Amino acid sequence: MTPGTSATSPRWTGPATGADLTLSFWRREPGRARWLAIAAASLAAAGAIWWSATRPEGLVSPLFLPPPLEVWEAFVRLLSRPYLGSTLGQHIAASLRIVIGGWLLAGLVGLPLGIAMGWWKRVRWISFPIFQILRPVPPLAWIPLAILWLGIGDPARIFVVFIAAVVPWVMNSMQAVDSIDGILVRAALTLGASDRQILTRVVCRTALPTLVAGARIALGNAWTTLVAAELLAATAGLGYIALNASRTLEMGILLVAMAIIGVLGALFSIGMHLVTRWVAPWARSGVAT
Amino acid sequence: MTPKMEIRAVSKTFHARGGEVAALQPCDLAIGKGEFVTVVGPSGCGKSTLMMIAAGLEAPSSGEILVDGKPAGPAGPRRTVVFQRFALFPSETVADNIAFGPRVAGLERVETERRVAEQLELMGLSRFRGAYPHELSGGMQQRVAIARALAVRPEILLMDEPFGALDAQTRTVLQEEVSRLQRELHYTVLFITHSVEEAVYLSDRVVVMSKGPGRIKCEIAVPRDASWRGLEIEEAGTRASFMQLKREIWELIRAEIVRH
Amino acid sequence: MLLLLWWLATAIPELVPPRVLPSPFDVVRRFVALAGEPFSGATLLGHAVVSLQRWGIGVLAAMALGLPLGIALAWLPPLRAVVTPGFELMRYIPPFAWVPIAVLWFGATTTTQAAIVFIAAFPACIINTQLAVAQVDPILARAARTLGAGPARTLAKVILPVAAPTIFTGLRIAFSNGWMALVGAELVVGKQGLGFLISQGQINDSAATILVGMTTIGVLGTLIDAVLQRTQRLVLPWRPVAARPTE
Repeated sequence: MTPGTSATSPRWTGPATGADLTLSFWRREPGRARWLAIAAASLAAAGAIWWSATRPEGLVSPLFLPPPLEVWEAFVRLLSRPYLGSTLGQHIAASLRIVIGGWLLAGLVGLPLGIAMGWWKRVRWISFPIFQILRPVPPLAWIPLAILWLGIGDPARIFVVFIAAVVPWVMNSMQAVDSIDGILVRAALTLGASDRQILTRVVCRTALPTLVAGARIALGNAWTTLVAAELLAATAGLGYIALNASRTLEMGILLVAMAIIGVLGALFSIGMHLVTRWVAPWARSGVAT
Repeated sequence: MTPKMEIRAVSKTFHARGGEVAALQPCDLAIGKGEFVTVVGPSGCGKSTLMMIAAGLEAPSSGEILVDGKPAGPAGPRRTVVFQRFALFPSETVADNIAFGPRVAGLERVETERRVAEQLELMGLSRFRGAYPHELSGGMQQRVAIARALAVRPEILLMDEPFGALDAQTRTVLQEEVSRLQRELHYTVLFITHSVEEAVYLSDRVVVMSKGPGRIKCEIAVPRDASWRGLEIEEAGTRASFMQLKREIWELIRAEIVRH
Repeated sequence: MLLLLWWLATAIPELVPPRVLPSPFDVVRRFVALAGEPFSGATLLGHAVVSLQRWGIGVLAAMALGLPLGIALAWLPPLRAVVTPGFELMRYIPPFAWVPIAVLWFGATTTTQAAIVFIAAFPACIINTQLAVAQVDPILARAARTLGAGPARTLAKVILPVAAPTIFTGLRIAFSNGWMALVGAELVVGKQGLGFLISQGQINDSAATILVGMTTIGVLGTLIDAVLQRTQRLVLPWRPVAARPTE
């Protein structure tokens, strides 16, 4: 998943588009009002198709795709009564706990390590091979091993989320330090800064937006991995709800769970974008990761 | 009298994959206190390498750099550098960039503030103290870079083609500024440029380098009391003595370019 | 050096029990065993082939749909207005969250796995293709117009070649995402494949099997990326291949 690249946002103008009236309608970038109108119409059309296809006489059986009403009812039901032993809030909290916990732990380890690897060649020489080996192995592939070692429960899931998040934290932090223009370091040297001062005052501050981008990618990875981990080894959480709902054919609940997972993922991404802007207002926007 | 900075028998050879590349033949250059020396030469003659070595940012393959008769040591605030690409810290405001040197040296806040204010005033930047580098034009950024380099009260100022990345108009304005600063403050400056006109306008002495791997071909003195000193560069350019010097230096460089 | 540490750690049985971390030799032995005899339905090669097949179908579908759609989205802005809301809504649902519903729709068959691979690979394909085309300097299209080229020709001969390297980068991300997703999907459903293999390893308490599986998965993933890089070099020799993107 590449959360973070919002390529379908209206800010992207394609080649030679824009409000260039010499182009045909299809090639011209619609103005804001028209854009919103088309988008709204498209959503409405999709909604209408959904509703009509899932009517009792419709084409699609409710087991395949539940009608909108059923989804809404499922949502209300989840809000009001506990499901599988915990309320919706508790399930969400269970998922969030693991994801944030694993992500923060990975950051605690990964961020300093990545910076160290970018700054000191020796550290890089020792650690880099480890990550080169770890990287191609999908974090999910660690799940069976984690279960074997730690059993089914929170530690195994935190471990897997940790692994999923630590690699982006480390690699992005390292790259952030690496990609600093050497001339800034030279300028700092001529102004009398010591190595340590350069690291803290120049490197870390200049690399900040890229470091936060790494954190955002790590969070995205962590969330994706968590959902999978919950499908396999959990007693609570959103993935667990989804799995159970699919087994008991409660399609409405399944869709609601998926929707909540998506919403949380979106919130994480937006949240991290805001953090980037808050932490480094001087960074040039338009860096698509 | 001991020159302020001395470049003694400095040469540089780079080790590349195919073998060795000589960038600089042994060069000797002495710069007196308060003297403005410009190095010109054809492209690739190694003048930037010479400057990096003089600044202490690169080690020479042979020879040494002396300041006040003693070995200069690694790069530091005694010899600050203004780079062609500005090299401003993007995460710091204008004021913080200028304050960087004093802060790193551990000066107390009051003194740092004073120096920052002084430089802002000197370079005409007071209005922009809270701006970030990316919000400024090239000319303003370079002014900040100069202010930053001067805030640490360097003994020697090194400028590596500082106006190369600017448009012609900004360039002219800044040349006149530097000329004014020099007349008021008498810094010891080592300046590198492509532009012969700039060299004649600003310097006390112009050093011409040969084609790469470069060595110092000859030095031409520019009289302190020349008639065009203090004039705007456009006007100075019309004076006969100015044009004569320009021609002389340019002929030397042209001879190097077409050589071989 | 890491190998050395590993072997040392497992050489002393009291230090690290073999159940937790088998010695390198155990793993190699297991590898040979799996390569030869079927385990849970197929040899190592058999499982790998099944996984690759599913992955292949998924990414081909993602490319077939994603590339043209990405180009269309960049070229025809009104289309973007139509697609964006739906796309943004779906984008944040991780591929895994689709597993339960996919199982319900397609059963525990190859289609389910391929569908998950598709869902994982599709966004990267379409987003990066769109980005690639959109980022082509508009001045090139204008130049083509002034020289008399119609939109189709401009697209084919001017825009696409310039966008191609970025599109390839997008493909690399998509292929890798797809591979990662496949493994996960196979952990949950299916009776064959590398993901299934390692989950069986866990059930049978055989850490060595798991490690063999994991290594194979990792190696294949790297190979896929390397092959794609090599292809890019052959097809687009005029552009340097960027270092592997960190996503």
